[in-house]
Amino acid sequence: MILSMIKKNKLLVLVVLVYAGIFIFAPETALKSVNNSMYYLLEMIQVLPIIFLLTVLIDAWIPKEWIIDKLGDKSGFMGNVFSILLGSLSAGPIYAAFPLSKMLLKKGASITNIVIILSAWAVIKVPMLLNEMKFLSIEFMAIRWVLTVVAILIMGYLMGLFVKKKDLPEDTKEEASLSVNTDYCNGCGICIKIAPEHFEMVDGKANVKTQEIHKENRMKVKTTIEKCPVNAIGME
Amino acid sequence: MDIFVIAFWVITGVLIIVSLIKDKKKTVASMKKSKGMMGNMLGSIVAIIFLIGLVLTIIPPESIQSMLGSSSTFLSTVAAAIVGSVTLIPAFVAFPLVGSFVDVGASIVPAVAFLTTLTMVGIVTFPLEKKEFGTKFALSRNVLSFGFALIIALVMGVIL
Repeated sequence: MILSMIKKNKLLVLVVLVYAGIFIFAPETALKSVNNSMYYLLEMIQVLPIIFLLTVLIDAWIPKEWIIDKLGDKSGFMGNVFSILLGSLSAGPIYAAFPLSKMLLKKGASITNIVIILSAWAVIKVPMLLNEMKFLSIEFMAIRWVLTVVAILIMGYLMGLFVKKKDLPEDTKEEASLSVNTDYCNGCGICIKIAPEHFEMVDGKANVKTQEIHKENRMKVKTTIEKCPVNAIGME
Repeated sequence: MDIFVIAFWVITGVLIIVSLIKDKKKTVASMKKSKGMMGNMLGSIVAIIFLIGLVLTIIPPESIQSMLGSSSTFLSTVAAAIVGSVTLIPAFVAFPLVGSFVDVGASIVPAVAFLTTLTMVGIVTFPLEKKEFGTKFALSRNVLSFGFALIIALVMGVIL
């Protein structure tokens, strides 16, 4: 249990260890770093709940077909323009865009458009443009903006050429992922009776045979989740 | 909180209430799904924030000025792009910093490279990007962004 938590949060554990080391050898540097982090922590607290609500809204109300049509592989130039707008209307740093982009990928957006959204999110932000105008100049801002938009479009297309959906991690792909928690499974076999296409018995425990769930089998799989006596079947 | 963030809060807040009224079950189901996804990322995000704090202590924004003003434009541009990739300074600190420097007469080429990599290339956020989108995606995106930051900087140097 604790081990799997550590495994899941490798980065956090590493950072905590580094901080612990610095606290011992250079407490002042560590304190300063904590202080410097506060600004970002505050920013995250302000922005992350909005991102959470936005992903909820997109998941609940925007149909997959619409995303495929507007941001998918065949959405063309209009899809790119739409992606730039979507990215520019954002709040927060680039990592705040990750959950939203993952949701869009799952719903069928193309890699090109995801790269455009992420990059636009990072660079083209209205408050930032105003700042740039104030401290540099309007020409500087405008020329950098135009060049950046062009660069983002080219980058999106290049990425779309090299990176395919199969290169992405499992959970970003379009289909839902089905799983059996073998710690809970008691090997009753109900799921195999209901949906033999998707479950099989391995060493006395249920096992997921295939992640590909056809539309006509959806209901069956849902029933197995409900009927499983120990709630060991999950779908994300 | 700036006005844009506040506007976002208001808009999403209203929409989520409408969504809850229209179909509570669907909304709650989506909330559970998003909660799982965000929960997986939260640890990494907190880790990254503290990593940024550490980097800012080791490379304070003031020290970047000297980097931008080195005598060779080419070297200082590459150096500025690298510093921009490593650090994550808030934009409202970065623009005045760069602005003050350009006012003194420094070349704008390194300044532009720095401003662009600052937001688009993230060495510190790389582990999170890799975990969420895969190594190939994260690596290609960051390398391309770095390259384009240099190109944008050089083109701006020619135009302005």
